[in-house]
Amino acid sequence: MAETVTISIDGQSYQVPKGANLVDAAKLHGTDIPVFCYHPKMKPVGMCRMCLVELGSVTVNRESGKPDLDEHGQPVIRWQPKLQTACTQTVSEGMAIRTSTAKVVEARDDILEFILTSHPLDCPICDKGGECPLQNLTMAYGPGESQFLYDDKQHLAKHVPLGELIYLDRERCIQCARCTRFCDEVVGDDVLAFHERGRKLQIVTVSDPPFDTKFSGNTTDICPVGALTTADFRFGARPWELSEVPSICPHCPVGCNISASTRLDRDSGGKKVIKRIMPRQNEQVNEIWICDKGRFGHHHSLSSNRLQTPMLKKDGAWVEIDWKTAYQEVTSRLQKYGEKVGFLAGPSLSNEDLWEMRKLARRTCRDCQIGLWPATMTGLEAVTQAGVGVGTHLAALGPESAILVIASDFEEEAPIWWLQVKQAADRGAKVMVANARPTKLDQYAKCVVRYEYGEAVEVLNHIAVFARRHDKLNQTLVEGRVDGFAELEADLKGKRVPKQHSEAAELLLDTENLVIFAGNEGLTLAQQAELMQAAANLLILTGHVARPNNGLVAVWPGANMQGALDLGFSAEATVSLLDNPPSMWVIGDADPVAEDARAAAVLDQAEFVVVSTQFMTPTAEQADLVLPVLSFAEREGTFTNAMRRVQRFYMAQTPLEGALSAWKVFAQIGSALPGGDKPRISAALVMRDIAQHVVRYAGMNYTDLAHVETQFPDVGGHDLYYGGNAYANHGGLGIQWATNAEKENYRLTVRPVSAEAPKYEDLTLIPIRLLYNRDVLFEPSTVMHARIPAPYADFNAKDAAQLGIIDGDQVVISAGDLQINVSARVNGQAPTGFVLLPIRLSQLPVPAAPAMCSVQKVEE
Amino acid sequence: MAHILLRDLDVPDIWQFDTYVANGGYAALRKSVKELSPDEVTKIVIDANLRGRGGAGFPTGRKWSFIPKTAQVKYVTVNADESEPGTFKDRQLLEGNPHQLIEGAMIAAYAIQATAVYIYCRGEFWDLAHALEDRIEEARKANLVGENVLGSGWSCDMFVHLGAGAYICGEESALLNSLQGLLGQPRVRPPFPAQMGGGLYYWPTVVNNVETLANVPWIIDHGAEAYKAIGTPESPGPKIFCLSGHVAKPGNYELPLGKTFRELIYDYAGGIPNGKKLKAILPSGASGPVLPATDEVLNAPMTYESVAALGSTLGSASFILMDEDTDMVWAAAKMIHFFKHESCGKCTPCREGTYWLDQIYHRLLRGQGTARDLEQLERVPKQMVGVTLCALGDFAANPVLSTVHHFRHEYERYIKQPALEKAGAVAEPV
Ligand SMILES: Cc1cc2nc3c(=O)[nH]c(=O)nc-3n(C[C@H](O)[C@H](O)[C@H](O)COP(=O)(O)O)c2cc1C
Ligand code: SF4
Ligand code: SF4
Ligand code: SF4
Ligand code: FES
Repeated sequence: MAETVTISIDGQSYQVPKGANLVDAAKLHGTDIPVFCYHPKMKPVGMCRMCLVELGSVTVNRESGKPDLDEHGQPVIRWQPKLQTACTQTVSEGMAIRTSTAKVVEARDDILEFILTSHPLDCPICDKGGECPLQNLTMAYGPGESQFLYDDKQHLAKHVPLGELIYLDRERCIQCARCTRFCDEVVGDDVLAFHERGRKLQIVTVSDPPFDTKFSGNTTDICPVGALTTADFRFGARPWELSEVPSICPHCPVGCNISASTRLDRDSGGKKVIKRIMPRQNEQVNEIWICDKGRFGHHHSLSSNRLQTPMLKKDGAWVEIDWKTAYQEVTSRLQKYGEKVGFLAGPSLSNEDLWEMRKLARRTCRDCQIGLWPATMTGLEAVTQAGVGVGTHLAALGPESAILVIASDFEEEAPIWWLQVKQAADRGAKVMVANARPTKLDQYAKCVVRYEYGEAVEVLNHIAVFARRHDKLNQTLVEGRVDGFAELEADLKGKRVPKQHSEAAELLLDTENLVIFAGNEGLTLAQQAELMQAAANLLILTGHVARPNNGLVAVWPGANMQGALDLGFSAEATVSLLDNPPSMWVIGDADPVAEDARAAAVLDQAEFVVVSTQFMTPTAEQADLVLPVLSFAEREGTFTNAMRRVQRFYMAQTPLEGALSAWKVFAQIGSALPGGDKPRISAALVMRDIAQHVVRYAGMNYTDLAHVETQFPDVGGHDLYYGGNAYANHGGLGIQWATNAEKENYRLTVRPVSAEAPKYEDLTLIPIRLLYNRDVLFEPSTVMHARIPAPYADFNAKDAAQLGIIDGDQVVISAGDLQINVSARVNGQAPTGFVLLPIRLSQLPVPAAPAMCSVQKVEE
Repeated sequence: MAHILLRDLDVPDIWQFDTYVANGGYAALRKSVKELSPDEVTKIVIDANLRGRGGAGFPTGRKWSFIPKTAQVKYVTVNADESEPGTFKDRQLLEGNPHQLIEGAMIAAYAIQATAVYIYCRGEFWDLAHALEDRIEEARKANLVGENVLGSGWSCDMFVHLGAGAYICGEESALLNSLQGLLGQPRVRPPFPAQMGGGLYYWPTVVNNVETLANVPWIIDHGAEAYKAIGTPESPGPKIFCLSGHVAKPGNYELPLGKTFRELIYDYAGGIPNGKKLKAILPSGASGPVLPATDEVLNAPMTYESVAALGSTLGSASFILMDEDTDMVWAAAKMIHFFKHESCGKCTPCREGTYWLDQIYHRLLRGQGTARDLEQLERVPKQMVGVTLCALGDFAANPVLSTVHHFRHEYERYIKQPALEKAGAVAEPV
């Protein structure tokens, strides 16, 4: 706690953080002030009047400047005549409150009686019942009985869809505006509003499509009653039947902490299954938010299409085999092909899976390549040197910080970071967005830099040049610990910096903190590598490393890309595998065939392909042996998010019969190879191996990863902002591995980077990433299908005119050997000369990197 | 005596720019801008002790002095929402003597060095608002409004905005929200409109009633002492009293503050028609406690302080008079129905309390009231008073508590004689 002030609560003095909200401050010391409209993540509005307290302040003698004292030597407190709402107060020195006097108790009683006059008697059938703040507060503070006549109650619509995901029960709504304020304030999406006034005040959606935001599910958590429910969960289970299992979202690099609400389910044959996904509080990761993909995208683990037995392809047809035979099939092949085996790991394998896969690779042959899929991003070295400091806390960034997001459509690629950066901008952080086309973050940016696809690296170089010219280098660091400065300086010297870039540089380098988020939009793998290095150069030279809230974050294309890199997998290895194809492939939970035509062709030529997978993906289809593995929900493991936080997920569901954890599968295979050791019996022990062998993970273990501390503001627990157990973090806050910059005896290296950009003269196709796509793990969540667009491509208006196409036309895009059927959009997104093509909107591959293309309109 | 505010009664054409100027109009603005510093103008208004005519009676000059000088943007907002039942004074001022308001608003704007003035008119003032825009254009042409006012280097334009017919938008912070295009609901205060973060677009803003500002030119012309010579020390100046209900000559009356109720009602307004006795007075539209027409009340001076001493408020001084035949339960029901309809719904006690009370009145008037209902009428309003976000919640409690207090026997009649239903007295619940 930095600065504190002293306040008095019911006669007791307490130290509380300066500037804190009174309700939060009181809670910190065990005094619950009941609230409905207040929520610690949003500005107070003083609407519900539930938090009334007696408010006073110590009177100070004008002359002495000291508090007046009464006959007992106690400070004299001047109490305000009217009760005041605690939620609208910021603590200040000498503030005093009384929270349990008769006056306060009566007022709360009165307010609750008022709220209940309009509230239906739905508790027995209400989704919120059991975790409902209104229910809890009524029990704690409510009137014994109401004087209001039941017949006077107003009856209102009970199943109002606010979009296909969220339903509103108008009777239950207590008009607290948490949902509208969440959309307006936290997200900035103008999608919900109040309509009418007085007792007719009602929540309506004002967007088309309705409730059009990627974060809609959060409103159902923060709604203090059961007025908002999700189409996915409503009437699915009663909260008290649910047991909460800590988990980690498997969908994107943010690594949101989630809670899987599970129960033994009759409809699933008595197995323990996930009924819903809720956020779990981790202030340094996702606070208490998750995006709708994380919330509704868990259905793959209960899909009826899951594979349950190993299968071998014999004469073109699948034959079910047992695990033992499967292991033998693999080991004998590994021994046969030896040097000529390649390994490929997908984006959502756990660290334990990856470790065992790597071990298997090492056992197979000394130089077996271990590749990463998708092979679109790299830059572990840059992150290792200049990654964001341990303890980085996006939710705390304000005017003292600058944030640069480059080459990423941030909301689509890392929704919760987007949300946090957007809010940081609202608090005054200087946000800069650099991309070749407009993205949603632009409207919150102090500065938007547009470059032509391919020129991203140049932007960072220019900022570095500016830093050098304007004395923004951290000389101590540069002189003391940095290698390669002379070469870099020579390379940067004399570069002309365009005005737009120097203005951007001025903005970014004028603050105490600088965080850079780097993506890969429009970049080849080689360019992306340079972008990462350029970012590291800049951060190191200017000293924006080794401290919290400073450093580099890569917007990786998967939940555990960071872990894969940490454990030695790389995109470069993948490239080398594709260039010099091995005879045999071992593929873990990746689907290259659906995503990349070249990979499909290469795999088609292989002699033997083994795939561990949950589903019969196009890659599995093309393989010779498939091994069914468990989803993240059915086992233990760890993911490392892109801020390098290693986080545990726990077994939430009864494992699917027949499937095994991928790490076990790889370990079993490995144990049958010469020199193989016995497989570990638990993921925890695999982590122990990792910690022993991988420097970055040294000292980590499952116990420490499960460590939790009280977080401020405390939104979880048996708490009144939300009445249930899901928010409470019992699974661990995770551990971030430290960068080299943070280790004082490590030297840091900078080097010149090549900013050479290809001149794209013909129409060029740029693959882009969308949050909602037909990824294997997301596709089975049918509740989200309305949000996944049909395959489309964005055209620039000029190009479209030249090609004779208009918005909505069907077109065929030809790139290399690929023919891609999409509908055309012409909406100002694509820069001239470029076609934006979202990846993974179908099972058919599209280019993974910028590619020349031609376009043909499909005539009806 | 010549009128200070309702000058259209003395000079019918004063709404015309030339007539207004010919009758001394805009001299006060000229004097302020050319001869006085902004602080001096504020000082004169403070010394005159002009009190806000919008209802609360807050000292106007002090309000102006709260505006932080360092703010880059400052606004004056004229409250022309005039929605209080029985209030129709601002309308006559805007129709009959608009240039005086424009002049007063510009003097206020000069005093705080405002960058713009917004006049927020209730939605029903459609014609009036458009006519007002023409009057402003006249002043703009004469360099009294707009760029470089009277060559002083200070620029301040003036705009008219129409509301959409909500009573709550007369409440100053809801008015500001509405002006900004937001939902017309009050804001949490502090910050108050005059403070950083509390005003229009969150810049410091003075919100004044039309009548308040219409006083200002005269004060500048004649000085604080002359103004204080009118009325009483605590309630100086002239005031427009809006009379309606059971009165022979309803309408607006401009009198110095401090005349008695009796003088106004019987000497000026011709008393109660048909020789009926006066039973009760609503001194500030629907929002203040009802006063029974006792001698004590009738002989009391009409000032902020003495009406407060009687247990009510002078408010906007819109008096609705009720003769001996008036059914006070019915009257209270009307007012509650109004507040239920107008409650913005932002805070619980007012949103739910007005709905609850309205249900009870419906039952009473339907002849289905019980003794329990009467108990609730004494209890429920008390649960609302003092705990709401804005004063509307308090306003709504007033007619109920005061009528139950003074006219309890009338309520008891409804309970004892269930057949006393008044057909069509109250609209059906909505
Ligand atoms: C519910 C409510 C309605 C109000 N309506 C009006 C109104 O119609 N006109 C007005 O001038 N003031 C109205 N007020 C008072 C304003 O909030 C504010 O006090 C006034 O405009 C200040 O101007 P003054 O200081 O010149 O009186 C209302 C207040 C409340 C609480
Ligand atoms: S729907 Fe829920 S969150 Fe939204 S206003 Fe109603 S009670 Fe509050
Ligand atoms: S932001 Fe990413 S990690 Fe978080 S819930 Fe959404 S998809 Fe999952
Ligand atoms: S008191 Fe009534 S009008 Fe005022 S904020 Fe509350 S609900 Fe709205
Ligand atoms: S008014 Fe404070 S919690 Fe609602």
